[in-house]
Amino acid sequence: MKKPDFIKAFSFSRTVYAVTIMFLFMPLLVLVLYSFNESRSGSWTGFSLRWYVKLFTDSSDLWRAFGNSAIVALSSALVATVIGTLGAVGVNWYRFRLRGYLRTITFLPMILPEIIIGVSLLVFFSGLGIRLGLFTVFVAHVSFNLPFVFLLVLARLEEFDFSIIEASRDLGATELQTLWRVILPLTMPGIMSGFLTAVTLSLEDFVITFFVTGPGATTLPLYVYSAIRFGVSPVINALSVVMILGTVVLAWSMRRFLKNIAAK
Amino acid sequence: MRRGPGLAYASPSLLWLTFFFIAPLLIIVLYSFLTPGQRGGVDLPFTLNAYRAIANPSFGKVVVGTIAVALAATFFTLLIALPCGYYMARSSKQTLLLLLVIIPFWTNFLIRIYAWIAILGNEGFLNDLLRWLGLAEESVRFLYNRAAVTLVLVYTYLPYAILPLFSTIDKFDFSLLEAARDLGATKFMAIRKVLLPNIRAGIFTAFLFTFIPIFGAYAVPLLVGGTNSYMLGNLIADELTKSRNWPLASAISLVITLVTTIGVMLLLRFNGTHILEKKHEKA
Amino acid sequence: MIGSNVHIGNVSKTFGDFVALDDVSIQIQKGEFFSLLGPSGCGKTTLLRIIAGFEEPASGAVLLDDRDVLPLLPNQRSVNTVFQNYALFPHLSVFENVAFPLRLHKQKEPLIRARVSDYLQLVELQDHANKKPSQLSGGQKQRVAIARALINEPSVLLLDEPLSALDAKLRQHMLIELDSIHDKIGITFIYVTHDQQEALSVSDRIAVMNKGMVLQIGTPQEIYEAPATDFVAKFIGETNLFEGIVRKIDGELLELETAEFGTICLTDSTPPAIGTRVSWTVRPEKLRISHDSAANGRSGLNTLQGRVDEPIYSGFQTKFYIKTAGGATMKVIKQHADWSDEGPEIAWKDEVYLSFSAKDVFLVERKQ
Repeated sequence: MKKPDFIKAFSFSRTVYAVTIMFLFMPLLVLVLYSFNESRSGSWTGFSLRWYVKLFTDSSDLWRAFGNSAIVALSSALVATVIGTLGAVGVNWYRFRLRGYLRTITFLPMILPEIIIGVSLLVFFSGLGIRLGLFTVFVAHVSFNLPFVFLLVLARLEEFDFSIIEASRDLGATELQTLWRVILPLTMPGIMSGFLTAVTLSLEDFVITFFVTGPGATTLPLYVYSAIRFGVSPVINALSVVMILGTVVLAWSMRRFLKNIAAK
Repeated sequence: MRRGPGLAYASPSLLWLTFFFIAPLLIIVLYSFLTPGQRGGVDLPFTLNAYRAIANPSFGKVVVGTIAVALAATFFTLLIALPCGYYMARSSKQTLLLLLVIIPFWTNFLIRIYAWIAILGNEGFLNDLLRWLGLAEESVRFLYNRAAVTLVLVYTYLPYAILPLFSTIDKFDFSLLEAARDLGATKFMAIRKVLLPNIRAGIFTAFLFTFIPIFGAYAVPLLVGGTNSYMLGNLIADELTKSRNWPLASAISLVITLVTTIGVMLLLRFNGTHILEKKHEKA
Repeated sequence: MIGSNVHIGNVSKTFGDFVALDDVSIQIQKGEFFSLLGPSGCGKTTLLRIIAGFEEPASGAVLLDDRDVLPLLPNQRSVNTVFQNYALFPHLSVFENVAFPLRLHKQKEPLIRARVSDYLQLVELQDHANKKPSQLSGGQKQRVAIARALINEPSVLLLDEPLSALDAKLRQHMLIELDSIHDKIGITFIYVTHDQQEALSVSDRIAVMNKGMVLQIGTPQEIYEAPATDFVAKFIGETNLFEGIVRKIDGELLELETAEFGTICLTDSTPPAIGTRVSWTVRPEKLRISHDSAANGRSGLNTLQGRVDEPIYSGFQTKFYIKTAGGATMKVIKQHADWSDEGPEIAWKDEVYLSFSAKDVFLVERKQ
């Protein structure tokens, strides 16, 4: 679309945008720079790859934390995706008694500050006498992932008219055949983005995990937290760069993957 | 919408969230009216002590401080996000511009906070730079105050405001701006009198998405704030893990929950219920 | 009625306070092209959805080939629907959309190929089998929807305003095609539309509906020429509608006294009693317009005098609004045929005479 001339001349917003992008990227660039710093302290002393070497050869705690994060992220995302997708299908097309209630309880967790969810789950688990550990972290992650999957799938479902479902039933499909042959294939992009969002959120979560975790259930963000809190090792810089690269690569492949699905 | 197997589809979600989200919230409500137990936990009798404690001036200071920081950070966030959203909506390269905003956001939350420590710390990048330029002899203490907390909060939640503003402005009919110009408005007047009133819903959504998480912030003030920039979130954690006063922690949580819920309800009423029907972009 | 293909007996349906169907009864014969015609909200789509199984009636019976289908789910009824918005599955190709019903029944691949290509041929889409619905034009999507609905060889095909999303020219074309498909496969079509032209041009019979009630069932000619109620008269085509009081009955010939035109004569085989207040209608194309009053005085012919208030020229015809001596306005449509032996052109403000035969005047029932 051709923009009218007076907008082109309006450069205030462009300037703000450019400065903002620099503001957003600058800290990450500093991290990249420092990850190659030879010295242990903050000041720059020279180029070195020692922290990367240490990250990959001598950081077993960190990799254990990464393993925990991966387990929790994949399992919680999977469960949240299955439950959330079914919920979205129900809410989008059918009227039932608890529909309004479900809409509210899928909305609330997204607007409540994370700490509230963390604290209430901690209190809940200890009240029930459930031992804190990977399982409680998993439960907490499903709980905060579920609403996101629900909404992403719902957004996708909203693009389709109910007549698609009626057409399927009309042509002879049972409810289950309709779910399997029409609803799921149609919703797949929404389901996939729900799943990937859930994985990302789960890998990312610190606050809620912090409250519901127990001995032996340190996730990567918790590991990073204690590293920041109790003496920063420049390994964290190297780790940050690897994670940044990881997210960029993941995001890139996710985009292509989603595009492929959408094109199908 | 039809009658049909809706409840069957929805029941796993209903059960999970009722059990692991609603029930814990209700327990918080219950605990806030009980007496602290010997080693954490709660005991009878029922009491309002926890709520009396919140009204206590030492807590009151934290409440006021939290609101002040949250308002300031939200204000700056919106101030930056509005022109950004406008520029992105008007650009022909929207996907690229969106990606540039989102990519830093994909970096782990703690890593982003840590990056600011690496910049603002006593031996951080900024002090390094100042020393190298000969502008400072001693390290300047940038961290561990309210300004640092506000800065990092703005950094963390900026995309929360940019994305909804972008999607609202993107739907705005820009020929209205031309019409306003045609009728004699200056650029500034056209934006203020025509654009802003039409994107009110987006501004409120952005406000909501920024203010609420900042109001309940925990990690940022913990890591870049000092004891004087403590926020309500830190108070809850301290009461829970250090002072072991669970009723008080519950009461503060409940206050945050109520403030959030009331805020959202006001906005929903004001904005119509479209927020509930809208997609939420977080990651 | 036993023996009819589709039997709808005393069906009623409400949504909350809204009465969607009010005691509707229709019998449809095997192979009929039957239209449900009415304005939006008249209940025609609800009736269709009840036949398909998407809605349940509050009361009444629906029989297909003498079998009660109300307990059956949509997928168990030998009825298929062409949806208003096509409802094609966007994730499947044209071929797979049409093959969908066969795949459900786990048919053998060669059989599926053969059947699908037969039906794609029927709708002339054999060259588009591998396209996605999003790559098709509106008319092509429509044809896929028809092929898909027919492949199960249903006993009845339901069409829910299938042409409403198409532009006027394409609509004409698709209508002809629908008609020829109907002729080829010979099953019952139930066609829902709000467009009277569509209904008149393809239907064997039409049920005109309004406010949940069936006002008239009949052939297109019956409905157009002899509307049963004033609503039908106004809804189908253009008409002139007035009131009058029956003054004289002479066999089938009646004389009405009207406030606007004096005495009007008409024929009716079942005349109401003298003194009854009635509504009567005459179609604008049945009126003859001329400068002279040559036909004046002949029995069985009504003649009025008036002035041209507004001539509206539209190529093949001109529509005149004639202000008659009594102050009422009469619509007249005059076809432009080159063999016409009319005198000078009729223009604005001309004094003219209108004449129309008693046989073209109909009494209608006053209902909503």
